[in-house]
Amino acid sequence: MPRAKQRVHLFWAANEAAKPMDAETRRRQLAAAIARVAGGDRAALRLVYSETSAKLFGVCLRILGDRSEAEDVLQDVYLTVWRKAASFDEAVASPITWLVAIARNRSIDRLRSSAGSRAHAPLDAAAEVADEGLSALDRLEIGEDQARLKDCLQELEERQSAAIRSAFLDGFTYEALAMRNRVPLGTMKSWIRRGLLKLRACLER
Amino acid sequence: MSDEDTIGAGDRQDLTAAEYVLGVLGAEERRRAEFRIASEPRFAAEVAYWEARLGPLAGAVPAVAPPATVWDGIEARLSASLRAPAERGGIWQSLAFWRTFAIASTALAAASMAGLVYLAQVPSLGPPLLAQLNAESGQASFVAAVNKEGDTLTIVPAALLTGDQQKAFELWLIPPGDKPHSLGLIDPKKPVRITVPESLLPQVNRDAVLAVSLEPPGGSPTGQPTGPVIANGKLASL
Repeated sequence: MPRAKQRVHLFWAANEAAKPMDAETRRRQLAAAIARVAGGDRAALRLVYSETSAKLFGVCLRILGDRSEAEDVLQDVYLTVWRKAASFDEAVASPITWLVAIARNRSIDRLRSSAGSRAHAPLDAAAEVADEGLSALDRLEIGEDQARLKDCLQELEERQSAAIRSAFLDGFTYEALAMRNRVPLGTMKSWIRRGLLKLRACLER
Repeated sequence: MSDEDTIGAGDRQDLTAAEYVLGVLGAEERRRAEFRIASEPRFAAEVAYWEARLGPLAGAVPAVAPPATVWDGIEARLSASLRAPAERGGIWQSLAFWRTFAIASTALAAASMAGLVYLAQVPSLGPPLLAQLNAESGQASFVAAVNKEGDTLTIVPAALLTGDQQKAFELWLIPPGDKPHSLGLIDPKKPVRITVPESLLPQVNRDAVLAVSLEPPGGSPTGQPTGPVIANGKLASL
């Protein structure tokens, strides 16, 4: 910002420098808390819960589309965190990635076991929420990766990226996605598989 | 544009991990993928890769504060049954947990306690290898112990398994990087002793995975797991 007054410039510079450090600090704190959970520390589980439960509840709610189901699954999620904390490996995944994966897997398993009869947001909803503002947690934990993923998704055909988003956020099967989009199953599989291949190529550039 | 023929069979195989992470697979395919996560390190690494790459999509989901009753429920369930995290706390804590659990369930308790007492009382069977076989939920489903000669395996149910009476429970040994080898059928309601086939003796060691799958009566017709994997766990020495 060349025209900004020096004072203002310094303020922003200080803020910008502080942000990534906060992210790193927060990530480390969360990883350390998970390590303590692995040692049987309940207070640490409480800490992980208070830091991440709103995000994970949002994820469960989005997939399950039902509040009481999502609350039930969220309990399972943190009990899983309690049991599996020792298998968390910081070298493999960031804490939030690991937690989101548990929340999604539990939710999807619940969805598959309840015969999939639910009212659900339409496919377009995925595109709508994709541009919503990020929560503080996202900015701190996954903001950078998110920007990169977004760029790569934009390189895909619209229908490919919409299908990938919807699958991830809503937990739809290939069959459900094909029905919702009124295309044959093979076509939907092809959209997603080609989208994934292109995505991988882009992310590895 | 021809959508169908541009992706080869090789790519299809490659993308199972991505499809699992994306969430497009059905229940049985998911169980099969989880089986592979437990038994194929390369596949597990691929799943981790896609979780890291696709995970940021969750950034688009708005955070929603859950009601306080959720934490209360977590605390209550922790107090009820889980004194220590099973994977880290070691097998004995898990057994303690399991024993508590089993006492509550009458017929099962009698059978399983007998199994434990058996394991504890025969000194020559001081088991050098144990495995806790967990369901995907993390709930312990079976506990297995191998005698010190490595030729006899005892598997004890650790939870009441309800399910399809038409299905058989088949136990598999999966050496690292290898395909599953059947150890035969087991009983979900009582301890079973299995004599390890001679050809598999060298494979019964640390880091081999034990898994239980649901199969047609009489066991898998193909020699490989055909049904969902309901529990798995790694052998570890005490």
